Amino acid sequence: MRKIWVVMRREFISRVRTRWFLVSTVLGPVLMVLVVFLPMSMVSGGGRERSIAVLDVTTTGFGARATDILNARAPITASRMAVALDQLENAADSLARAVGQKELDGFLIVTDQTVADGRAEYRGSNAAAQVDMEIMQRFMAQALLTERLSGLGVDPEKVTQASSIRLDLQTVTIRGGEATEQSGEITFVMAYIMWLLLYMAILLYGVQVLGAVVEEKTTRIVEVLVSSLRPFELLAGKVFGVGAVGLFQLLIWAITARLLLTQREVLGGMVGLEGSAQGFPLPEVPVSTIVVFLVYFVLGYFLYAAMFAAVAAMSSSEAEARQVQAPVTIFYAIPAVVSLMAMLTAPDGALFIALTLIPLSSPISMPGRWVVSDVSLLELVASVLLLVLGVIVVTWIAGRIYRVGILMYGKRPSPIELWRWVRTG
Amino acid sequence: MSERPTIEVSGVTKRFAGHTAVSNLDLCVPRGAVYGLLGPNGAGKTTTIRMIMGIIAPDSGAIRLFGQAERGRELSQKIGYLPEERGLYRKMKVIDLLVFLAQIKGVSGRVARQNGVQWLELLGLGDWVDRKVDDLSKGMQQKVQFISTLQHEPELVILDEPFAGLDPVNTQVMKDIVVELKQRGTTTLFSTHIMEQAEKLCDSVCIIARGTKVVDGPLGEVKREHGGNHVIVAVEQGVDFVRDLLSDRTLVSKADNYGQYAELELAAEGNPQRLLQGLVQAGANVIRFEIAEPTLHKIFIDLVGPDAATAAASGGVRDA
Repeated sequence: MRKIWVVMRREFISRVRTRWFLVSTVLGPVLMVLVVFLPMSMVSGGGRERSIAVLDVTTTGFGARATDILNARAPITASRMAVALDQLENAADSLARAVGQKELDGFLIVTDQTVADGRAEYRGSNAAAQVDMEIMQRFMAQALLTERLSGLGVDPEKVTQASSIRLDLQTVTIRGGEATEQSGEITFVMAYIMWLLLYMAILLYGVQVLGAVVEEKTTRIVEVLVSSLRPFELLAGKVFGVGAVGLFQLLIWAITARLLLTQREVLGGMVGLEGSAQGFPLPEVPVSTIVVFLVYFVLGYFLYAAMFAAVAAMSSSEAEARQVQAPVTIFYAIPAVVSLMAMLTAPDGALFIALTLIPLSSPISMPGRWVVSDVSLLELVASVLLLVLGVIVVTWIAGRIYRVGILMYGKRPSPIELWRWVRTG
Repeated sequence: MSERPTIEVSGVTKRFAGHTAVSNLDLCVPRGAVYGLLGPNGAGKTTTIRMIMGIIAPDSGAIRLFGQAERGRELSQKIGYLPEERGLYRKMKVIDLLVFLAQIKGVSGRVARQNGVQWLELLGLGDWVDRKVDDLSKGMQQKVQFISTLQHEPELVILDEPFAGLDPVNTQVMKDIVVELKQRGTTTLFSTHIMEQAEKLCDSVCIIARGTKVVDGPLGEVKREHGGNHVIVAVEQGVDFVRDLLSDRTLVSKADNYGQYAELELAAEGNPQRLLQGLVQAGANVIRFEIAEPTLHKIFIDLVGPDAATAAASGGVRDA
């Protein structure tokens, strides 16, 4: 045990002292904020007003009324251009050129058919932007509704009043039979952050174990080490040491985040942004969530660190290790990405529940599920036990490959040779 | 204070996939000896040493160190080991690295730091204590490796090809170290494929080839038993003057005549005294008469044969 401690301490100290640690500790949260909030702000539209043309071929004046509604209610500047049906294609061509020269974002073709069966066409540079198209659709639907109701004799004023109500759906997450203070949106963002943190942290530190093992092998210091240490002591010290660095870094990040959030008004005041931060709801992170997160981080890290160590022990050089590492990384990434998809689409679906139980994917998926839905204690215990079992089995196999591999140089072992290593170890 | 040998290897065999690296090997390294494990590349030297160190386990046979049953790794505090392939953590400070390598042998950090600094000063690296290993020249790194082997004052030092890759300065340092270990009574086992080095430093040797022991024992004995009787003779009148005498197969079994002198291998029943008498009786003016000790190299070639030596050398990838 003392020797494991000595190895662990060396690993920890020599890593914490590196420039890499300093840089990643500072850049980690910056990157995290970018990765979490950039896509979100992109989805919510970017806020630029779109400028379009309405190519009006109608004979009823619907085109003009629709243009007015778009201008009045939607974040769109619309200008009407009335043409006869036989001039449609010519006009469309010239408008397309205007779009090409960035004078317009696009144009909407409205015909008499639009009123009859709701068919319209939009051509534009932002045709693939989902948010823009949703807005377009919503307000065109309003225009159509107004048109049809007025056709039935309803006062257009009343139609406008009735259709201008926006539904504001408040979402509140229920946990353990009780409503929490959290909105559904914040809950989801938290689950996503957890997924991302776990995904990055486990991979990051797992790969560091790989690097450490390869370094000892390529510098050949490993032979001196195993003349004093059992290979398992060496491996355990290394995995614990790198893991301790990971926990230390997470701790620094957590304290920083906490300080930033609680002191944000003071900080905001310092840079002249008083009150601007108040609207942002403070996510509440219960202790149980932190515990679940840490348990899965530690176990997941052990699982993958052992795999990476075995892979490194099989290789004679860094380049070779990178090559062999690829399958493990894919092995790691696929369940993780599937978990994210499942969490987004069906957090209570059978697929996601299965993924939170399978040891390969549970470290990354379970904490997210713990946040987004109500996980029973039984499920949590089952998932942790399965993961612990997985860690034991993988570590046992990896330890045996490691023991033989660290002293082997030259050709990479074939699967048959590997099996012999595991058997005789 | 047991009188048991420091290293006893009995009937040890180790097979790797496809070939036998060491076969039924017996070794006995007495306390305080400087013991040479000799053989061509691929003979099984490194495998033998790794088994002694407990890094790999023999398939059969037993190894006892200091008369105890524990494996080498458990006794690592008493053993200093310098493998053939040597390396250091490049990013660590020299002193931190030395302390770490002592600590994994069970030495306390404080003691290790004191010893480490002393050793560095002794080998002229006093100014490099707090520098990174990366900043050191290759020669200096080799010195750090020597220190890491010796800093915990082991009772047994095992050096695998210690002279390989050393510059002339460090070769001398290494030789001095071996001589000093001998004076301090430390048991030293080293392997080499260069017989001349072993001849200068060892008091006992074991020659192995293809994983099998060829001969072992104190150096003098090995030479006496396996060297034959070699005499170098020079005569003022020229060697041809005593041609008749040298053709006497009961006296001389083989003569290499170089004109000015001849190297003779005496027959089993011949002896140097008879030869000298014969020379004097023949009226030769003897200007040189030397009973030559055969070199280890010659013994090795005689016993193993040049073919075996080179064949083993080219086939021994795993042990290289």
